[in-house]
Amino acid sequence: MATYAHPEVLVETDWVLANLGKPGIKLVEIDVDTKAYDAGHIPGAVGFNWQTQLQDPVRRDIISQDAFEQLVGGAGISPSDTVILYGDNNNWFAAYGFWLFKIYGHKDVRLMNGGRVKWLNEKDKPLTTEVPKVTPVPYKVTEVHLELRAMLPQVFEAQKGGWNLVDVRSPDEFTGKVIAPPGMTETAQRGGHIPGAKSVPWSTAVNPDGTFKSADELRRIYLQEKGVDPTRPTIAYCRIGERSSHTWFVLKYLLGIENVKNYDGSWTEYGNLVGAPIEKG
Amino acid sequence: MNHSTRVYESVFEMLPGEENPTPLVRINRLNPEPAFTLYAKLEWMNPFGSVKDRAAWAMLRDLEARGEIGGLRGIVEPTSGNTGISLAAMARARGYHIRAVVPNRVPREKKILLKIAGAELDVVSDELCPAPGLGDGSINLAKTHARAQAAKYAMPNQYENEKNVEAHFRTTGPEIWRQTEGRITHLFVSLGTCGTVTGTSRFLRQKNPAIKVIAVQPSEGHDVPGLRNVAQLASCKLFDPTLIDEILEIDFRLAYTRALELCQNEGLLAGPSCGLILEGALRIVQRDKNGLGVMIFPDNVFKYATNMAKHLPGLSSGLEP
Repeated sequence: MATYAHPEVLVETDWVLANLGKPGIKLVEIDVDTKAYDAGHIPGAVGFNWQTQLQDPVRRDIISQDAFEQLVGGAGISPSDTVILYGDNNNWFAAYGFWLFKIYGHKDVRLMNGGRVKWLNEKDKPLTTEVPKVTPVPYKVTEVHLELRAMLPQVFEAQKGGWNLVDVRSPDEFTGKVIAPPGMTETAQRGGHIPGAKSVPWSTAVNPDGTFKSADELRRIYLQEKGVDPTRPTIAYCRIGERSSHTWFVLKYLLGIENVKNYDGSWTEYGNLVGAPIEKG
Repeated sequence: MNHSTRVYESVFEMLPGEENPTPLVRINRLNPEPAFTLYAKLEWMNPFGSVKDRAAWAMLRDLEARGEIGGLRGIVEPTSGNTGISLAAMARARGYHIRAVVPNRVPREKKILLKIAGAELDVVSDELCPAPGLGDGSINLAKTHARAQAAKYAMPNQYENEKNVEAHFRTTGPEIWRQTEGRITHLFVSLGTCGTVTGTSRFLRQKNPAIKVIAVQPSEGHDVPGLRNVAQLASCKLFDPTLIDEILEIDFRLAYTRALELCQNEGLLAGPSCGLILEGALRIVQRDKNGLGVMIFPDNVFKYATNMAKHLPGLSSGLEP
């Protein structure tokens, strides 16, 4: 049985339990439901709010290098620390956080396999409402990897051929039957998908317990069944870039595809463009 | 306590059982088959307003009996509304605090009622792009409260609590058996936690294994509060497919049109889950032609006025001067 291309970026819940409180290991919870952290989290974990802390508060963008340094250093995390990210919805925003840590060059960042729901459903795993007391440390970004991010010009470039475009939204969003899942405030003017994109919903990658499927299964699904060519540059997108971070993680770190970009503008950028080509159905 | 004079020393004496069953009312104008008698069991006649009184009471008494609540320790429970309303009213009347965790899709009336009944309310976002096994956000958040603050909260967890099943085995099943004098041939139920179908069928099947149990479920992506379709049943540990003969999947919009028909033709002010059950029952009635069917109607229409207006557009017009 094949292993993941980069198994070092995943830790299991048992590993986290065994390493709770050890120096140099920092836990960060990032949830879709921003109330979840306050209700209870892994002892010692800090919580990041994706709405207010991981996005630029004014313009539509990821947080700046300066804001990242403030946020991460303020959480007591040093560049040499091992950062373990986890969250609800099978690590959607934890994967988004992982992508951000990688963009700003953090060396050792990992996801807790199965995320919050797996921890919650294991009886031996403690939860607390106590917010850890952290001592801020200086954090200096030394390298930036913007090649992990797709911007609009590359999305148009990709449509000319030679790229994989992977749409990870639900089938109804892909076909244009709905523009966004019900009740979402971030939406678009038009429904459909980027021409040439393959539909591979993000949840294809996970087991019922929240963990990632095996390397063999992932290879079969993405490379064989869906025809993702691992030798080509690849863009993953969704609606606002969090579900696609999850698939970006799968393609780049579990399957080992070299050049994978997350398009965080996603459908809320593309589906609002005047005159851009769209496919439906 | 005297059920004939209906004078009670406490509201809890009104809770149902074989000696004090919720009513069975015959469907007359909407049933086209004269040889198939169809009754609705009006669960909204329970003292706290829905079928959930049965499970809520059983779970609360169990927590009390085991010394799990009292002092600083109250209750946290995930709910689509009715269990929470029953539990909140009961718990507060017995001196316990309660926190209810509800999905956002729950009707506004129920959220307000939960607060009126004395629950502290947590509203969680609906699943936006669900994955199998991920679990319901309200269940996960309630579990988090119970695990992170075990000194403050006990969680009955209606989705896994055997007392939910036992309540129906002990009350709903025997009531129906006695009310129909053992003549019931078909039981029609909806699926939520599955406590009703599992407990009631288990009892009735012991009495007569030939009784057909038909469950109805709304189509995927539905908007019928309190119900689940098969794709959502993974989180229901009480679901026992061996006790169900057929599961009918029904376009959820029919829940609303049939509920309106019940209100306007039978004098039964029934909610949308009852409408869905009626639609399922009528399909079987027309197929099987003969029998005596009992539909368990979970709730009346009052908490769903907003939802009814949303799905039956005619109801929203002419409301302004």
